[in-house]
Amino acid sequence: MRAALAIAGVELRRFVKDKGNVFFTFIFPLLLVFVLGSQFGGSGNAGRVTITGPSSDLRTAVAEQLESQEVSVSHATHNDMLEQVARGRTDVGLVVDEEAATAYSQGGSAELEMIASSSSTSMAAQQEVQVAVSNLDLRQLQVTALEHAGASPAEASQALDEAAGQVTEPTLEVVNVDSLAQEFQGLGQFDLGASSQLLLFTFLTSLAGSSTLINARRQGVMARSLAAPVSTLQAIAGQSLGRWVIAFFQGGYIMLATWLLFGVDWGNIGLSLLVLAVFALVAAGAAMVLGSILDNEGAAVGAGVGVGLVLAAIGGGMMPLEIFPDTMRRVAHITPHAWGYDAFAEIQRHGGTLADILPQLAVLVAMAAVALLLGTWLLRRSMARSL
Amino acid sequence: MTQTATEPTRTADGQHVLVVEGLVRRFGDLTAVDGVSFTIAPGETYGLLGPNGAGKTTTISMICGLLEPDDGSVTVLGQQMGPRKVAPKRHLGLVPQDLAIYPDLSARENLNFFGKLQGLTGTELKTRVGEVLELTGLSDRAKGPTKEFSGGMKRRLNIGIGLLHKPTLLILDEPTVGVDPQSRNAILESVENLSGEGMAVLYTTHYMEEAERLCDRIGIIDSGTLQAEGTRDELIRLIGGVDNIALTGSGDTVAVAEALRALPSVAQADAERGSLRLTVHDAPTAVAQIVTAATSSGMQLSDVQISRPNLESVFLHLTGKALRD
Repeated sequence: MRAALAIAGVELRRFVKDKGNVFFTFIFPLLLVFVLGSQFGGSGNAGRVTITGPSSDLRTAVAEQLESQEVSVSHATHNDMLEQVARGRTDVGLVVDEEAATAYSQGGSAELEMIASSSSTSMAAQQEVQVAVSNLDLRQLQVTALEHAGASPAEASQALDEAAGQVTEPTLEVVNVDSLAQEFQGLGQFDLGASSQLLLFTFLTSLAGSSTLINARRQGVMARSLAAPVSTLQAIAGQSLGRWVIAFFQGGYIMLATWLLFGVDWGNIGLSLLVLAVFALVAAGAAMVLGSILDNEGAAVGAGVGVGLVLAAIGGGMMPLEIFPDTMRRVAHITPHAWGYDAFAEIQRHGGTLADILPQLAVLVAMAAVALLLGTWLLRRSMARSL
Repeated sequence: MTQTATEPTRTADGQHVLVVEGLVRRFGDLTAVDGVSFTIAPGETYGLLGPNGAGKTTTISMICGLLEPDDGSVTVLGQQMGPRKVAPKRHLGLVPQDLAIYPDLSARENLNFFGKLQGLTGTELKTRVGEVLELTGLSDRAKGPTKEFSGGMKRRLNIGIGLLHKPTLLILDEPTVGVDPQSRNAILESVENLSGEGMAVLYTTHYMEEAERLCDRIGIIDSGTLQAEGTRDELIRLIGGVDNIALTGSGDTVAVAEALRALPSVAQADAERGSLRLTVHDAPTAVAQIVTAATSSGMQLSDVQISRPNLESVFLHLTGKALRD
């Protein structure tokens, strides 16, 4: 065991000392998480509304109402608002023009124009706008009624606030019936990108790192290790452990860094680490296979990056599995990435327990067993070939 | 069949450090090692001398338990060696021909790693790493990556790794290949020192001078077969133990040859135009008498050359080819 730990330790040391790994291991994954989160990440609230029009009481009141309903509100010029709607960067554009603002301030009837985007969350955002406007409309009617009864506007507002504080208001929850929107409901802006990039880079780094296995074999270090009081099994166990440590290190780093920098919610951290540990086992086995069947370090890096990217693309490491057609989604599950994706989705989005992710873990364990056994057999053969 | 000059030495308890008996290893149709047998006693330096491809490294791979022999056996301090045997490997220190070190790690990190594989831990590991760094003259470069080392420094580290656990038998596989003369001399000196300290050494080389300088006994190997073994002098005696003297000058060389044949030290004398080629016993002692006899017989000498046989001659005699790459 001591020999295996020594081999694993030296593999991790070599990985960390390799300056070429600094960018691709520590910086690049975080850059991608940031870019994906910025471009495609959900806002994490009940929709996005862009308001256009001059500053007015009505505009302020509408914005406050929407924000109280956890809607993300922004202001823009009319043309910018139209462009945002057209490009799907906002769910709804709301025009609060001068005429409406004046009518509202005079207690009259105000008409607001709403422009909906074609985004999947647009319907829910429209509902939120309608609820917000209805609330304002109701309040305006109540104030007007009290003023007609002789109260001043200030007294009317105060009376309504006091009355509202004494009763529990019924709440209206706007539920988006779109299944895709429901799936990502509650996800932070960077959450989805972080888990998919974790899967991509854990596997890719492990595969690309298989070149060190070839290097050790070609330079005679492995033969020298076997000339020491170390059995072949111990040497292979050390190499497997080394691959696993590198993969787990990469994934663990992404988890920690995205949590610290982007506030990514990894759900139950123990379960997330368990999924990472098992996924890293599959990656370690795959790296052993690659490092054993190839004899050229450059080819191993190239093949590792290529295979890593293709598997990630198929398995949800680049785009959410939920937007895949059904057939492609079934195909995706030939990759460990898809099972890892499902497990993280269960933990992050649905507060899944160990029981909930057992099926995914079982498949990943089976994949790891196959990859490690195959890797062990191939590595043994390649070691014999190099002696 | 191996020509053995002497019985190998043994320890007081009759145990050899290494006993190799009838090793055979085939790779497909090629028999790389064919019935190699030899022994090494404690403190003895044994040289395997042979050209590239003679089977030296394959023999070493089997001795270290890296390769399974197709036939024969290896015993280290009485323990059977093989790929699945771990215990006997503790007695061996291997210095492979290739620089088997991690270039991206420092000398200290390399030594620490291989020390751990040898079972060294804690203070013992730290002490031994420090001693080996001192021994190899790498203390002041212990922290730098070895890829920035010169070839000689890498070779020294390569040897140092083999010494970490103070092995009973140090195995050096062509350790001076590709090394500059200065580093080469340093390596040979360190091997002499280790041998002087009582460490048994198995040294493979295709350099005759190294084998002559370092080895107590030498095995001449070619085409996977141990052709002969013994001390240097014993091996030379195997081919007759005679020297050659060439006399150049003027006079009746046929008559002079006839006269010289009468001398007891001269085994053969051939006359050529203006010169004589003699095969003699113990040339350094006999040369004065030969020169006197030649001049007395009327030969005006202009040049006298003595050539003594070396391991190159032995190899040539045994295999019919030169000991070169």
